[in-house]
Amino acid sequence: MEFIVEKIGMSRTISVPSVPVTLLKVVEAKVCEVREDGKALVAYHSGKKINKAIEGQQKKYNISKEFNRFKTLRVAEGTEPGDLSTAPLAEAKVVKSSFNSKGRGFTGVVKRYGFAGGPGSHGSRFHRAPGSIGMCEFPGRVQPGQKMPGHYGNKKVTVKNEVISFDPENNILVVKGAVPGHKGAKGIVRIVK
Amino acid sequence: MRNKYIEAFEKAQIESKNIPEFRAGDTVRVAVRIKEGNKERVQNFEGVCISIRGQGTGKTFTVRKIGANNIGVERIFPLYSDSIEKIEVVRRGKVRRAKLFYLRERKGKAARIKELRK
Repeated sequence: MEFIVEKIGMSRTISVPSVPVTLLKVVEAKVCEVREDGKALVAYHSGKKINKAIEGQQKKYNISKEFNRFKTLRVAEGTEPGDLSTAPLAEAKVVKSSFNSKGRGFTGVVKRYGFAGGPGSHGSRFHRAPGSIGMCEFPGRVQPGQKMPGHYGNKKVTVKNEVISFDPENNILVVKGAVPGHKGAKGIVRIVK
Repeated sequence: MRNKYIEAFEKAQIESKNIPEFRAGDTVRVAVRIKEGNKERVQNFEGVCISIRGQGTGKTFTVRKIGANNIGVERIFPLYSDSIEKIEVVRRGKVRRAKLFYLRERKGKAARIKELRK
């Protein structure tokens, strides 16, 4: 079962040992249509974007104007069109959280792949460069998959988190550890246990 | 300003804690729960609180005492942690700043703090 969530931020518990936690707000979603393979089309609110295609869908499924984004999610058995119930989260123990990671732009190999780099001083002349990228006249080309500088981040990343608590009143899911992305980022949590 | 949901999450944990009000310059006695193997005991650490920092559940305070052989010992405690059994204010100090890091450079008589009289 999957839910759309928004990252709120991090905190910690006062227990011994203290646990770092991330707070996620479960975004209100309306089920439009349940498919036969256990998935459903749901609508949720994000920003102000509206166009005729969205309006048409809203009219078709008879949902209000705020719900302007659509997503296909795996839902619990017996789900019917209407509000998406958050009840399964109350019994969840482990979730997988998928978010877009923070975008870092065009980065070098030290940040992107953890290359060690060279000494900063003592005349080393080799600082953060990638170094050699291949062999000689044979094979005369760079091997495919060679790690080089380029765009890093802003890519879907999935992590596994234990569930600490769920507050059904405010729809706040508290998970252990960090999730990718910035505060306010929207992502998906999938119940695995 | 912090997020209201984070604040509510932290407040729910902190509310039941009964912690006396104190500030930098006060002498405090901190009872710390220590676990050795499967035995648990309480150890006291007494000294001058030289700084309080952070907010919410992450709030900590630093206690400095002069240990054996005149060696300064500092410990940082999480204010609301369950490992802290009790905090007792022994003496109120009269100081003019929030962080008393200058005490680290002082020795003996120069490192004294006057008691606050009302």
